[in-house]
Amino acid sequence: TAAPAQEVTLKMHQFLPPQASAPTKVLMPWAERIEAASDGRIKIDHYPAMQLGGKPPELASQVVDGVADIIWTVAGYTPGRFPQAEVFELPFMMTNAEDTSRAFWEYAEANMMDSDFADMKILGVWVHGPGLFHSRKPIEQLSDLNGMKVRGPTRIITGMLGELGATPVGMPVPALPESLSKGVIDAAVVPWEVTQALKIAELVDYHTAFGDEALYTTAFIFAMNKQKFDSLPDDLKAVIDANSGADLSALAGRMMAEADGPALEIAVDRGNTIFDVPPEQVAEWKAAAANVEANWIAEMNEKGFDGQALVDQARALIAKHSQ
Amino acid sequence: MGKLFLALARGMAVLGGIVLGLLVLLTCLSVAGRVLNTALHGETAQSLFPGLAERLLDWGVGPILGDFELVEAGMAFTIFAFLPLCQIAGAHASVDIFTARLPGRARRALEAVIEWVFAAVLVLIAWQLWLGLLAKMRYNETTYLLQFPIWWAYAASLFAAVVAALTGVWVALARLVESVSGRVILHSDTGPEA
Amino acid sequence: MSDLAIGLVSFPVLLGLIFLRVPIGLAMFVMALGGLYAITDGTAMALSRLKNEPFSTFSSYSLSIVPMFLLMGHFATLGGMSQALFKAAEAWLGHRKGGVAMAAVGACAGFGAICGSSLATAATMGQVALPELRRQGYAGGFSTATLAAGGTLGILIPPSVILVIYAILTEQNIAKLFLSAVVPGVLAAVGYMITIAIYVRLNPGAAQHREALPLRLRMRALADVWPVLLVFLLVVGGIYMGWFTPTEGAAVGAFGTGVIALLNGGLTRVRLMQAFYATARNSAMIFFIVLGAALYNGFLALSQVPQELSAWVVGQGMSPWAVLACILALYLVFGCLMDSLSMILLTIPIFFPIISVLDFGLTAEETAIWFGILVLIVVEVGLITPPVGMNLFVINSMDPQTRILDTYKAVLPFVISDIVRVMILVAAPGITLFLMRLMH
Ligand code: NA
Ligand code: NA
Repeated sequence: TAAPAQEVTLKMHQFLPPQASAPTKVLMPWAERIEAASDGRIKIDHYPAMQLGGKPPELASQVVDGVADIIWTVAGYTPGRFPQAEVFELPFMMTNAEDTSRAFWEYAEANMMDSDFADMKILGVWVHGPGLFHSRKPIEQLSDLNGMKVRGPTRIITGMLGELGATPVGMPVPALPESLSKGVIDAAVVPWEVTQALKIAELVDYHTAFGDEALYTTAFIFAMNKQKFDSLPDDLKAVIDANSGADLSALAGRMMAEADGPALEIAVDRGNTIFDVPPEQVAEWKAAAANVEANWIAEMNEKGFDGQALVDQARALIAKHSQ
Repeated sequence: MGKLFLALARGMAVLGGIVLGLLVLLTCLSVAGRVLNTALHGETAQSLFPGLAERLLDWGVGPILGDFELVEAGMAFTIFAFLPLCQIAGAHASVDIFTARLPGRARRALEAVIEWVFAAVLVLIAWQLWLGLLAKMRYNETTYLLQFPIWWAYAASLFAAVVAALTGVWVALARLVESVSGRVILHSDTGPEA
Repeated sequence: MSDLAIGLVSFPVLLGLIFLRVPIGLAMFVMALGGLYAITDGTAMALSRLKNEPFSTFSSYSLSIVPMFLLMGHFATLGGMSQALFKAAEAWLGHRKGGVAMAAVGACAGFGAICGSSLATAATMGQVALPELRRQGYAGGFSTATLAAGGTLGILIPPSVILVIYAILTEQNIAKLFLSAVVPGVLAAVGYMITIAIYVRLNPGAAQHREALPLRLRMRALADVWPVLLVFLLVVGGIYMGWFTPTEGAAVGAFGTGVIALLNGGLTRVRLMQAFYATARNSAMIFFIVLGAALYNGFLALSQVPQELSAWVVGQGMSPWAVLACILALYLVFGCLMDSLSMILLTIPIFFPIISVLDFGLTAEETAIWFGILVLIVVEVGLITPPVGMNLFVINSMDPQTRILDTYKAVLPFVISDIVRVMILVAAPGITLFLMRLMH
């Protein structure tokens, strides 16, 4: 069923609509680079918004089973499946998205390729820009969170919200805008970039960021079906390898963070209040969230990993790439 | 045999109905807890009876942790448990414009073929659900908040899916006998008793 | 055969299977597996999708509103609430020609204001209103068609799941879309009532007729509706006050009607079992169709049929209005075969960029919102167009005495009323947009 010029067609499946920043700024440009570098011998069909079927948590299984050839997903959509990736989601772990993503790739190569990622061909791993609070009532002090119903995206972040004194609410993303607009929840944590697609700036009046620090981030996985990759001729494998890895991860992290800017502007234009927690108060937040890291280390130790070593390694790699 | 399968299918429907009822209760309790939690944090409660409000909050008055994921897991079992009765009662939506005019024998043969395809599909679903369960087990996937293994929910659904597959095969067998002998075994009764 | 050809051929084959009385869900399921097998040259992908998709479809949080509202409807009937509601409706409207059917449409519109799903609206109001319509001597096909059409108000009157999805896909403002849907939604309800009035004048046998009741009896009938009002206010009020999400509202409604049925002595063990059996049959039927549609749409996306069709439309170099007409007509055709949510997910990413570059004399935002409402309506029409109209199946399955063909016949006037409304809204975008313009 292939046209004469192209030898192989790859189905790229992901959960966001095609206009979102990750597909337009990272995934589609990557596909175009691959098509160009292979002289059109590889063609990549993009299926956004789960068009091939299933719910977002199934993407990881889909790429292993070959339902899709390439997927982009959130590691935390399948809690327990990529335990070592969670280290980058720990509170105040990330610095900036580009450096943290480069560190993430190096960490993944050192620890995850034969375990968490054993059944897939990993093309890139990255994180988004700093996550922050978007709320209907102002959050300036830690105590303001007391009694607030806050929605978090993954289990680590939901756990952190509980430690900070909020009432964490686990809720599917599609329910988020409506719940926020009606006050079923008081606040949500997402990066700026996501607020644009979900219209969050129109639904809340307050945003709370942490200056140069980052409350949290989310780990993403960009992967290919292993058998499909192995079935390619060597020169096409080389094309994919040359466009994947540390540089792709760092670039993707940077592009995701750059998409924060326009979304921030929308909130500013609308006259929303954007509060930056002053540096001397950030320590108080860090102390309140410290248990999340301790709990994670204990959990990982139980699973047979050296939790403390993983945390130290992640910190060291981020520091190294932030130079 | 027919009575046994009807009793089995009804039993599954009641089991699914009970789980559905529990999910309704759970959701209502969670809503009540969340509304109360907000009220207790509110200015009225904090100024009128601050001590009681604090004590209630300390007791954990609030939404039930993981209510959404419990509804999702329970709902999967419920729907799988509802399938056998739908199958045996012939309650699946279909269009009978043309087949209504077919002679009786041809129509019964057609129905038998359709039921065999349906039985095959139900067996396929149960079989693949089993493979899905194995994968969830292998990758240690859990839910977000309660972090119970997802394969538990798959296992409950698999039990119901196997009953649905068995019922599908029984219905197909009955239709085959009907089309050969002309005897009526299954009544496509969708009234209140079925 | 190319993938595209396989996808195109699948339409008539699917239709053929459905006309051979293959259950709709099963037909789509089998076509999806067969199509995936043909496209991917093997069974691996078709089978792999079944590992997770049936479970994830059945465990969908947003769909869990369906069995909860079905259960609520059964409890409401057991508690005598549907009787009370229709006594009141009949008391006030029953002496008019087709008055009870009009009351059913009004009740659907009211329910649509609390529920974002057309299927749930059709299913719930079907449970409540269908037995009453039949008891009052309304013809079977006319009763089922009225409720199937009335059920579509669940989507059109905000809140609406479809509009939220559209807003997210096209990056439009949800509140403005909801606001713009209000007038077309009210027009739909009014249009259906006019349709009913015309229908019963052309078919005098379809509805019974009686004298008007004295005011005293009308007021007493109204007073008996208080349990319905109580639950309704709790569910509607709770959703709008932000006490809970629509799915949680369904749970609260099921709980509330259950308590009332228990207090009224209507909830015996035997009747509870029967409520479970009926909920089981209808829920399983609906979810199996949703599963079939999900698999079939995944196959269609892979065959590139929707993508190629839209490319062809753009390639014709027609005027903006002709392109819009083609797209809306295409939705009507798709709507005869597919489920609405999947249809939106599949086609909006393709059609929206086309529409947004065309000049209709509106601002970019106005065009996007106007197009969203138009798509919403034609998608909603798809729910009641034969042969594959989900609302038709849901309601028809609740009345074993009525053949689907009778429902098909009786629903055509409602479809015509929908198409007339679409034409009016296309010709005069201001009807859709004036509320939004007024707010700014
Ligand atoms: Na609605
Ligand atoms: Na239709």
